[in-house]
Amino acid sequence: MTDHFSTTASDARELIAFRIGEQEFCVDIMAVREIRGWTPATPLPRTPGYMKGVINLRGAVLPIIDLGVRFGLTTSEPTARHVIMVAHIGGRMVGLLVDAVSDIIQLKDEEIQPTPDVASDHVKSFVKGIFALDGRMLSLIELDRIVPEIEAEAA
Amino acid sequence: MSETDPFEAIKVVFFQECDELLGDLEAGLLAMESGRTDSETVNAVFRAVHSVKGGAGAFGLDALVRFAHVFETLMDEIRAGRKPCDDLTVKTLLRASDVLADHIAAARGQADPVDEARSAALVAELEALTHGDEGAVLSEPVADDIAAIEIDLGADEFGFKPVAFNFAALDAPVETAEPELQAWRITLRPHGRMYANANETGLLLRELARLGETAVALDLSALPDLNALAAEEGCLTWTVELTTAAPEADIRDVFDFVETDCDLEIVRASDEASASEDAAAPESEPESEPEFDIAALLARAQAEVVAEAPVAPVEAVLPQLTAEIAPAPAPVEVSTPPAVQAAAAPVPAKAPAAVTIRVDLDRVDRLINVVGELVIQQAMLAQRVTESGLARSSGVSVGLEDLELLTREIQDSVMAIRAQPVKSVFQRMPRLVREVAEMTGKKVRLVTSGEDTEVDKTVVERLAEPMTHMLRNAIDHGLETPEERLAAGKAAEGVVRLAALHRSGRIVIEISDDGAGINRERVRGIAISRGLIAEDAVLTDDEIDNLIFLPGFSTAETVTDVSGRGVGMDVVRRSIQSLGGRISIASNPGKGSTFTLSLPLTLAVLDGMVVTAAEQTLVAPLTAIVESLTPRAEDIHHVGGHDAVIRFRDAFVPLIDVAMAMGFRTTPTVSATGVAVVVENEAGQRAALLFDAIQGQRQVVIKSLETNYQQVEGVAAATILGDGRVALILDVDALTANARRQASRPELKLAS
Repeated sequence: MTDHFSTTASDARELIAFRIGEQEFCVDIMAVREIRGWTPATPLPRTPGYMKGVINLRGAVLPIIDLGVRFGLTTSEPTARHVIMVAHIGGRMVGLLVDAVSDIIQLKDEEIQPTPDVASDHVKSFVKGIFALDGRMLSLIELDRIVPEIEAEAA
Repeated sequence: MSETDPFEAIKVVFFQECDELLGDLEAGLLAMESGRTDSETVNAVFRAVHSVKGGAGAFGLDALVRFAHVFETLMDEIRAGRKPCDDLTVKTLLRASDVLADHIAAARGQADPVDEARSAALVAELEALTHGDEGAVLSEPVADDIAAIEIDLGADEFGFKPVAFNFAALDAPVETAEPELQAWRITLRPHGRMYANANETGLLLRELARLGETAVALDLSALPDLNALAAEEGCLTWTVELTTAAPEADIRDVFDFVETDCDLEIVRASDEASASEDAAAPESEPESEPEFDIAALLARAQAEVVAEAPVAPVEAVLPQLTAEIAPAPAPVEVSTPPAVQAAAAPVPAKAPAAVTIRVDLDRVDRLINVVGELVIQQAMLAQRVTESGLARSSGVSVGLEDLELLTREIQDSVMAIRAQPVKSVFQRMPRLVREVAEMTGKKVRLVTSGEDTEVDKTVVERLAEPMTHMLRNAIDHGLETPEERLAAGKAAEGVVRLAALHRSGRIVIEISDDGAGINRERVRGIAISRGLIAEDAVLTDDEIDNLIFLPGFSTAETVTDVSGRGVGMDVVRRSIQSLGGRISIASNPGKGSTFTLSLPLTLAVLDGMVVTAAEQTLVAPLTAIVESLTPRAEDIHHVGGHDAVIRFRDAFVPLIDVAMAMGFRTTPTVSATGVAVVVENEAGQRAALLFDAIQGQRQVVIKSLETNYQQVEGVAAATILGDGRVALILDVDALTANARRQASRPELKLAS
């Protein structure tokens, strides 16, 4: 979904950077529809732990995925300071619960480095690559990987 | 590709219209069948067939045109009163309308090409009816390749076999039956409307001239003085003496599109008086020079009109000329003083045009969604205002109340847009009845009522299947054969009634037959032999009747083509229940049975009981709820240690702690503190659901979970409550089934 974007004049893609715990991640800005504050979700029965439930997004029922839990990081109970990124993934709208959105950054494709081998397979399955920015390390998330697995696990 | 697209788009519209026309056709024919043979009904049928033919011709759908033409010809004969509109004719027409529908479906690419033999047989029948009494088969220009010959006039209604039919070079020999020249007098007085619809008298006259020798006389006697002249009105009358070999139908064809917009009289001149033919000759000026100087004649005509306004039958004017002066006295106006123009006030438009528009369903759905959100938002706002502690008399609160009323009205109006009369489903049924009747050899009359009862489109679409099943059952199992009926002292023809009505916010559909009723002994015997009930079970009549809804029950002794595959009534019941409806049966031995369906008016909203379980708000569909009760500790028992059951009216039903079942709580609550709601699932099994509290009954807007996520076990759908939060609608079936057979995963039913 990001390929067409890399063909722009600057040959750079825009990313939204966000934080979960101490770690920083980013996703393609084109996939993100809006960013809103956390509102308590209605839990769904018999769903994986990272499914926080569903919320009302202007009349639509929006499932919320706790990205921290999804990535296997430790997270705390969401508070009003947490943020939901509403993303468009594979024809569906999904809310991604993160600690905070920090920045919009521009990145050229060649700056992306492959995920080092030290990362676990679980993490590697979501991370497309990593890159450095002002001494920080950001992981570029592959959003497509997040939803299909829900179906596989629950179906 | 892109070139053909606009054409295809028009074609799609044509087929959409065809659906409507077929509906009109069927409705008209059924009215005729019930004895309403007034000209309005017959004309409506004629117009429907004619419009189909016209459209089909434009798209080059030859097979359809050919069939429609034969159909139309017969209708035209009936319309003109030359053919009786008897039972046989109407029955044939009805079957012809079925074939016409098949032709349309085939042209649309939705069905296989129509069985040639079947189509041809009907064509032959129609032609027999059309030409039967005249003996001689008149040639039909359009039906040139359909040469129907040797039609057995004595053949009975169903005895028709495909007759000898030649598509090849039969045209010449048969049609040389020396066409006889006949004189016709056609009187045409166009109304202003005809010109407004862009028709021209001149063109009509030219068409007539093509049929044979014409003599045209223009009558200006109705032309008022200039100062009284209404420019848009037609004041001229043409009298055409036509000598032609063409049949009257061809002459009428010329006036096809203007018939309603003019006074038209076509009489056989030779019939009324032979003298008229003689008289016609000297009066006429049958000249037709192609190099005719229109401008000169126009000037002459104008001079004539202006100079001597009201005049007795003026010299015959040529068709070509009339073409020019036809757009009424428009040229006259050139020399009219402004005052006259002012006097010529616009003619008040007669008969307002059709007041419907076609709208993409997507747009309506989007509107409904947005309005649904508006309703929720309004409820949220109201709740916030209440919470803020503003006085009820404050401006904000008063304004909010008005807003609430408006919102409700908008919602009702929007739902009304999508509401459709059940007619569209009912209209499919007569054909089904005819086919089933023919297959089973029974005589059936279908009586429908309440076709205009409106219900949401989503419901209408899903009504057809269960209704089809039930009608088939009513005819196949309900009605007796004609012999049996006569023996029982009933009319040979069975009556199946199909009625729709609104009752307390739901739509009720009743399907009743006057057959033998349910044979309870046999039903009981079958149920026992299939192991559905115990041999010594004591059942009331009502309970026995309801056995037919059990899965795998089929009373038909032989599996017929029509019904009796053993998937009958339980399938009907399940599809009705998946719509949130209920089905019941009342049977009277010897008198017949009545099936009653009760359905919600829409699938977009649902009546639900809002309940709380472990601080979560849930909605239980009201249709599933039997009763709610406060459980007493002594009523609750445990089977085998932990499976709780509750005593409910002398029976023990499983008690399901919903909060536990949904995983909201891991430790069981003290049962006696909550509220138990007894529900009945689709299989008729009961269970008690234990909640913490009941909040109340409410109508909720159904939101699908699948749009952005997927099905969740135990959850039918979601909704949004007044506080803006999502509440889950319970899938009662899955919950109870899960409690009954915990190992296997139940099939989930989703209401959206």
